[in-house]
Amino acid sequence: MAETVMEQEQQAEILNPDPVVIAFCCNWCSYTGADLAGTSRLQYPPQIRIIRVMCSGMVHPNLVIDALTKGADGVMICGCHLGDCHYIDGNYKTEKRADAIKLMLEDFGLEPERFRLEWVSASEGPKFAQVMTDMVAALKRLPPSSYKVG
Amino acid sequence: MPVKVAEEWLNICGGCEVSILDIGEPLLDLLPNLEFVHMPVLMDHKYHGQTGEGDPHKIDIPDADVGIISGGIRNEKEKQVALAMRAKCKTVVALGSCACYGGIPALANMWSLTDMCDKVYKDSKSTEKADTPKTDLPPLLDRVYALDEVIKVDLAIPGCPTSSDWIKEALLSLLSGKPFAMPDKSVCDECPTKREKKASGGTIKRPLENMAFKQDAPWEETRCFMEQGYLCLGPVTRAGCAGMSMEAGEAKVPRCIKGYMPCRGCFGPVKKGSNPLVDMMGALSSIGLKADQVSDRRAMLSRYVGGHGMLKPLPAKAPAPVKK
Repeated sequence: MAETVMEQEQQAEILNPDPVVIAFCCNWCSYTGADLAGTSRLQYPPQIRIIRVMCSGMVHPNLVIDALTKGADGVMICGCHLGDCHYIDGNYKTEKRADAIKLMLEDFGLEPERFRLEWVSASEGPKFAQVMTDMVAALKRLPPSSYKVG
Repeated sequence: MPVKVAEEWLNICGGCEVSILDIGEPLLDLLPNLEFVHMPVLMDHKYHGQTGEGDPHKIDIPDADVGIISGGIRNEKEKQVALAMRAKCKTVVALGSCACYGGIPALANMWSLTDMCDKVYKDSKSTEKADTPKTDLPPLLDRVYALDEVIKVDLAIPGCPTSSDWIKEALLSLLSGKPFAMPDKSVCDECPTKREKKASGGTIKRPLENMAFKQDAPWEETRCFMEQGYLCLGPVTRAGCAGMSMEAGEAKVPRCIKGYMPCRGCFGPVKKGSNPLVDMMGALSSIGLKADQVSDRRAMLSRYVGGHGMLKPLPAKAPAPVKK
């Protein structure tokens, strides 16, 4: 039972206790960052499903929209910081595509919170844990995706 | 024995029927092998035996080997006619983008039926307010359906209007029993314009602005319209509008490109089920054009594919959480 008023409010806000989150992580920075978060024993929510890709620049908008329209509550793309891309300019493409994805969320009737682009380097284990915690917390406050089946 | 053909038009403008006539001279060679037993666009035929023969409660369509249906399904009458066609025809051909994907009429799927009727009969500034007509009219369905959402379709020829070459080819392959398939290529694969470098950058221009081309110059000297900064749906659209036969010495030029206009996407997506809106937004942002400059994205990029739930009313925005 929640003791304080504040805790009660926080509980009341949770509309989706178990959101499904897909995270596309690039092999060179973000996936290694996730690895570091793991080996450092940092806690982050278990609702994240990580998909390792070679570069965040290979995540086309149709993959993200597909995930969201087939039942995922949220999608993240994590890549190297701008200028650090293993393939020189892959993440500049990611950034442009993310703009297109953000526009399309509206076309599919999805809330802007359901998609996030984050730069996480290989040494940023704590940042990885932090952005995942933030993302899941934001999604818990939204109702389950309208595309969710069953 | 000629093959019996029944033709039916549903929610459509009639352009695809003109394409049948537009086959031209090869049609004369085809005609002895075809017997049109039912074709409301050409022949007066009553469905319910109004002239005294037949059952007034049954749609009377004669038996046929091939049924060609153009148009999507908007109302109850069209649905019943489509079902009757399916029951009477051995092979059903969906003709044109309306039958294959919903087409232009399916743009109405962006709104609910009530919203649409209110707009047409009540809210439009140029209209005197009236109730939605109800008597003596078949009731509208909740949205526009593509043909294959209601009945099984054996063969699909998209296009707005479709190309007469493909109708001829489909009829020939049906007569000879050969399989028929449209190419799985994009318009860009067939487009002869010159591509220099991918990234064009900057703003998206409207087709009204001056395009750089020289009339009647060889196509290799005309620069790709997309690279010039125009919104061309070539990358996400199925090839085939130029027809299938390559005339000697003449490049096969997609129809709109031939008229120095960017592709509108009327042949539908290259891969069945993919969404041109998503693919095109991806393509635009990947080559450095600013995707937010596409005006009216949903309607513009899903212009011909509104059936199959591709276009639907957006859910009402949830009210902002009340801060205590």
